[in-house]
Order: sequence, then C-alpha cells, then structure tokens
Amino acid sequence: MADKRSTVTGDAIELTLPVGLGLPRVGFGTTIWRFCRRKPLGAAGGLLTLALVVTAVLANFLATQDPIATDAVHTLARPSPQFWLGTDHLGRDIYSRIVHGARVSLIVGVLSTLLGSVLGGLIGLLSGYFGGRIDLISQRVMDILQGLPLLVLALVMSASLGPSIQNVILAISIPIIPRAGRVIRSSVLSIREMQYIEAARGLGIGHLRIAFRHVLPNTIGPFIVLTTAQLGSAILVEAALSFLGVGVPEPYPSWGRMLSVSAAEYAQKAPWLVLFPGIAISLAVFGSNLLGDALRDTLDPRLRGG
Amino acid sequence: MSRFPRLALVLGLAGLSAVTGLTAIPAVGQAPKSGGVLNIMQREDPPQGFSIHETATISTVWPGMPCFNNLVLFDPLKKTESMDTIIGELAEKWSWQDNYRNLVFFLRKDVKWHDGKPFTSKDVKYTFDMVREAPDAQAKLRINPRKDWYANVEKIEAADPYTVVFHLKRPQPSLLMMLASGYSPVYPAHVPPAELRTTCVGTGPFKLKEWKKGEYIDFVKNADYFVKGRPYLDGLRYIPIQERGTKFAALQSGRLDVAFPGDASKTIADQVTKAEPRIKLTIAHQNVNDNLLLNVTKPPFNNVKVRQAISMAIDRRAAVQAVHQGGAVVGASLAPRPYGVWGLLEKDLAGLPGYGKSADEKARARKLLIEAGFGPANPLKVEMATRNIPIYIDLASFVISELRQVGVEATLKQIETAQWHPLATRKEYQAGPNLTGIGPDDPDANFYENYACGSPRNYTGYCDEQVMKMIDQQSQELDPKKRVQMVWNVQKKLEEDAARPMIDWRLEHYLQWQYVKNLIPHQSIYNYGRMQEVWLDK
Repeated sequence: MADKRSTVTGDAIELTLPVGLGLPRVGFGTTIWRFCRRKPLGAAGGLLTLALVVTAVLANFLATQDPIATDAVHTLARPSPQFWLGTDHLGRDIYSRIVHGARVSLIVGVLSTLLGSVLGGLIGLLSGYFGGRIDLISQRVMDILQGLPLLVLALVMSASLGPSIQNVILAISIPIIPRAGRVIRSSVLSIREMQYIEAARGLGIGHLRIAFRHVLPNTIGPFIVLTTAQLGSAILVEAALSFLGVGVPEPYPSWGRMLSVSAAEYAQKAPWLVLFPGIAISLAVFGSNLLGDALRDTLDPRLRGG
Repeated sequence: MSRFPRLALVLGLAGLSAVTGLTAIPAVGQAPKSGGVLNIMQREDPPQGFSIHETATISTVWPGMPCFNNLVLFDPLKKTESMDTIIGELAEKWSWQDNYRNLVFFLRKDVKWHDGKPFTSKDVKYTFDMVREAPDAQAKLRINPRKDWYANVEKIEAADPYTVVFHLKRPQPSLLMMLASGYSPVYPAHVPPAELRTTCVGTGPFKLKEWKKGEYIDFVKNADYFVKGRPYLDGLRYIPIQERGTKFAALQSGRLDVAFPGDASKTIADQVTKAEPRIKLTIAHQNVNDNLLLNVTKPPFNNVKVRQAISMAIDRRAAVQAVHQGGAVVGASLAPRPYGVWGLLEKDLAGLPGYGKSADEKARARKLLIEAGFGPANPLKVEMATRNIPIYIDLASFVISELRQVGVEATLKQIETAQWHPLATRKEYQAGPNLTGIGPDDPDANFYENYACGSPRNYTGYCDEQVMKMIDQQSQELDPKKRVQMVWNVQKKLEEDAARPMIDWRLEHYLQWQYVKNLIPHQSIYNYGRMQEVWLDK
C-alpha cells in the first residue's frame, strides 16, 4: 500500500483515499533503511554520491594545500604525509586538486543535468499533453538531436563556444534535452488519459493549468530517475571535454584535465598523476549510476516487482 | 654593373668574404651512403603549406626547408650558428661593400627550379622586394611576419642575371645572419606565393611528390640538384602526429627515424632513451623563449609600474624547475650563454626586475601594485589568454599561481591556435603567456621583429623612441665588442620597462636514431632542416 501511495501523488490522493484511512506515516530514516536493505548496491551508490556532495561542499576545509599553487621544489613528489596523493609536474597537490575537482564536477554535472532535464521536461510535457503539430515538430527536432551521441554533440558545442565552465554546462545540457523530453513525454501520454485529468477538464480548468498543476507533478518519479542517471554521464562528459582541452579551463582543477596530455606525458614516471583522478571519476560515475538504477527500480512500478 | 663603377674594383681590392659552395662540405666521420627514405616526425600539417615567408612556426619551416634554398645558410654540419659558419647556397660568393651599406651576392649559374626554369637574380629581387613590401614589389604575401627584418633595405638591384645587390639605408651586418636563417628562402618569381601554400616549387635538394593532409608529406630526391652528389637520401616522408605520447611511441618503435624539433620535453627524452638506448639524445638550444605578453596599449599595462610588478612576481628559476623539470635556462630577451652569443651575463640579470630573490621581488611587486592603486581591497584582475596547447597552458598555470602570491587575480582563456595570432596582432587581449621563437640568434632579428614600433609581431604594442634609437645604434655598430655592450643595454632597458617579461629559454632535447647521420641540431630549431647532408647508415 505504501508503494502504491508513493506513485499517486497530489490531487489524485485526495480523490482516491479518504482522509484517515492511509497507512501510518513512515519516517525518513525508516525509508532510507528499507531502501538500503532492498537495494544495497543503490545504497552504496548513494553513499558515493553523498561523499561527492560532501567533498564538494567542504572542499575548502578538506583540502590540505592551495589547489592552484605551483611548487617548484616539490614537482612530481610521491604520495607522502605532506602530499597525500603526491604532486603533479607543476608541484600542485593532487589530493587538494581532486577535492576541489569534486566541486567542479558536481557543479557542472548537477547544473547541466538540471538545465537539460528541465528544458527537456518542459518540451516533453507540452509535446505530450498537446500532441498534434506541436508534438510532431518537437519530436522531429528531438530525433535530430538524439541522433548525435552525447559526447560528440557536447564536443562540437564546447569547441565552438570555447572553454569555460558556463559553456561546458551549456554544451552538456543540450544533448540531455531530447532524452529528458522523451522520458517525460511518455509519462505525460499516459497521465493525460487518466480519469482525474478528464475530471479536471470537465471542471473547466485551463490546459496550461492542468499540464503544470496536475500532470507535471506526477512525472516527478521519472524525472528523479532521469536526472540521477544523467548525472553520471554529465560528469563523465565533463571529464572527457576537459581531457580534450575544451572543457573547464585552467586554473580550476578538473578531474578530466588532470588526466590530460601533460599528465599522460609524466604518467610513466609518476603514475599517481593519472591514477587518483581516474579513480575519482570512476567512483563518482559508478556511484551516480548505481543510485540512478536503484531509484529507477524503486520509483518505476513496472520494474518494482511483486 | 654600369651603375656600380666601383664594384669590380672594390671587390678586387677589399677582398671577398668569399665562401665556397656546399660541394666542399665533408661528411662527418665515416663515408656517407646514398639511398633510403627518412621518416620524419611532423607536429601538425604545415599551417601555411610550404610558404615559409608567410609563417612564424616551425611546423611550416621544418617540412618546407628541403624544397628551397637560401642565398646563404648556416652550415648544417656545425651546431653553433654565427657569422663564421655561414656558407653559400644559391650565392657562390658575397661581399660587403661601402662599409656594410651594400651587400653583393654572386649567384650560381647552374641552378634550376624544380619545374625546369632557370634561377636568376630576378628571383632574389622578387622574393625580398615582396617580403619587405617594396612599392614596386611584384607580389604580396598574405601574412608577412618578418617584414621588419628588411626595414633597412633601401632597394634591391638585380645588376645582372647572376649578381644581386642589397642597398641598405645604413650599415647592418646582421642582414647576413637573417638571410642565413631557414626563414629566408628564395621563392620562384614565376610562381604566385599563394600556390606555395599547397604545392612547392623550389631549387632545393628535394622535390615535393605528394602532400596528403593528415597522413604524410612525401619528397623525392632532386636529381638536378646543383650540389653534385647531394642529397644522399632518395626521399623524405614527414608524418604528422599531434598527440605527444603517440608520436614518441612511433619514434621508439622505429616508424619514425627522427623527432620534430622542440617537441620532446626533458621527461619524454629521458623516458624514450631509457626505453630504447639506440635512440640518440642531443641537448641543444631552441632559440625559443617563454615570455609574458602584456598589452601595453590598454590599461592596466600601459602603466609601467603594473608591468614591473607583474614581472617581479614571476620567479624565473621556479619556472625552469616547475614548467620544464630543469629543461630550460633563465635569460633576458636574447639567448643566454653558452647557448647564445648576445645574452646578458648572470651578474647583470640579477639586478633586473624579477631576477632577484623570489621573496624580495614579490614584496617589491606588492608595493608597486599598491602605488599603482591595486591592493587587497581593490585587487588587480587580469584575464590571461593563451593557446590551447599543453606547453602554453602549463606556463599559464604557473604564471597565474605566481601572480596570486602578490594579490593579482588571474583567470585563463584558452584560445585555438588559428584564432590566437590574429587576436595577438590586433592586440585584443590583456595578458598572455607565450612562446616566441627567433630564426637566428641575432639582436636585429629579435628586436626588429618583436619590439620595433609597428612590427606585425610586436604583439604587446610596446613602442619607445629611446629603445628604437638604441636598437638602430647597435644594429649599425661594426665593432662586435662595442655592439655586445649596446645589445646588453637594450636588453636591460626592455626588462626594466617590462616590455615583454622574459621567463626562460627552452633547451632542445632532440631525438634521432643512431643510424641517422649528419642531422645536427643547431642553437636554433629554425635553421637546420635542409636535409641535404643527411644519410642513413643502415
């Protein structure tokens, strides 16, 4: 029953469940505990994502050195008590750069995912709800956009816009739009046929009000799944763009850039230059993917089982 | 000749600074073997094709040189370039006349262009009138980076088909050094310069066979070459590979025989020679410096105090260690000794802004910034622009870190190479960590190209009448000892004005397989790519 309630939100609850007949309230801690028990891999992913968030937020406190400061005396220093993960060829502390790089990765990942998902979601909502020509035209545009792989489209955009954080966010968000649009549209297509929507129409409520007030809130489940799943891709694409030199510019520490040409040049002599940023990228992407999968299983009734 | 009645007499009496042709060059060590194709590393497709006069990058000079000849050239078999190592190519002999005001070249008569047409003095006049943008020049270059090398040339006269005279406004001994650079080939008068961007018609030891962009540039031996018995090789193949790891793996595996000049860092060179001991490492000098461009035409860098503060903030010795892992040396605007002839001595450097103890210099920088109106409450904010290439970005990261230590907040804008040069020429930037390569190790070549008022390559816009006067004075000084002193004074003044703060001079770590003979790195990477003397011992 609890699960059924979670899929039916907003006005629909008021129409179907009389007040007082609902199940007892389940605490947040209990919900998390149940999620961890049912989806241990998802919980591990959540933990990794949480670690990423905490690292990004507390980067100033967690870093032991200035991540930008070069140090001619300690170039390519091995991991040591002074430099936990060693230093790069300019003498910059790898650990501090990874910690601050988490902030860059998270900002770029979250903002580009949100921007792409929100824009795509809006297009999907209007396209799915109104149908007809709006649907036809918007979906053909989506077809074109979706025909290009995420990395290729982001690469073309980033190269033409020039390397900067804002441009990277924009470049990654645009390829997300058609994915988000398709997911939200498919949800809207089923929701708009439901009885409570018909009832709302019967009461004379305007289309925009129905779309945004009664349809949109019910797409929140797929939206969360979508954003969590895209977060990993966005982090990976940011790393790839920075690796290729069209992403986040120096002096901001970026995991992708830490892996790029200069590091590759010294990798034989100082493997920690590529090892630790590589691990950081892997863990962040792995974590958000695991969490996204688990959330999808939990929030999507077709995959919930039983 | 009738216009120069004194010429024959002067030539006879004054004696010729005659140098015999290249046929006299001996092979070093064992007897050279003919045959084989040399596989050569190329950094990228040559941006200006083979039009060397239109380029400012080794990417064009390196594959362009085997196609052409100069009037004179630095001896390819001698690693040190100087007036004494200049040998004739298209010029059999040459002579300074009228106290270094006229330079007369006597040309070879047996030279043909690759298309079979004869080479004459008209080709020489055509080429250098075009480069100096003479009013009656028959052609125009699209880009002309070294126009100011020839600003002192009053006129060029093709006295007869095999004699050409450069008339100068004032004495300028350095003209010969500039003409001996790989940047100074003679173009064919019957071929428009635009065509040389896609094909190559020269007189050089190798003819262009095919250029397949992104794959290879193939040259074949010029069977009609005027130096008998040369070249030794049957052909050359330049293979462009951009990614540094890949290209040096290709060298290590034997797919390439020789490296691209200036591409191997000290770390890479150490790794490659350790992995493959049959690859030979030669440490030389690149004649390429790291510097910081400050746009003096706009605030805040039109204020000399701000420029000096920026210069003082940069620890040069730390740059050598951090950016180059020790593979560079500190120097002012001309290459330091022992790699160069004109560089300031260590004791003179120590007194210049930015060359003292780092902590003291940074303290002085902060003081100057406060005097200029910048402090913790109102920090100087600078947008750096640099090419989107790792060696530039590493330098920029280092500079930004140094500037932060004196309270300057710098950000970095990475720019594609194709956009960088027009942007720098138009001075649409605030500051830019930069690499500057100079053809020959010569004060005129450097000063007129990079510091002269109005020069297209004077990216900073620095223009000072007093400095121009000092540059002109040293240029016409015939006593080498006096001239060195004058050149030092110019360098000191440039550093004091922070006209273009020098950071360091790159050392060359040149890699080639041991079986490649007679490819000898010089003190400048721009002058030894002719490949005429190179042979393979395998």
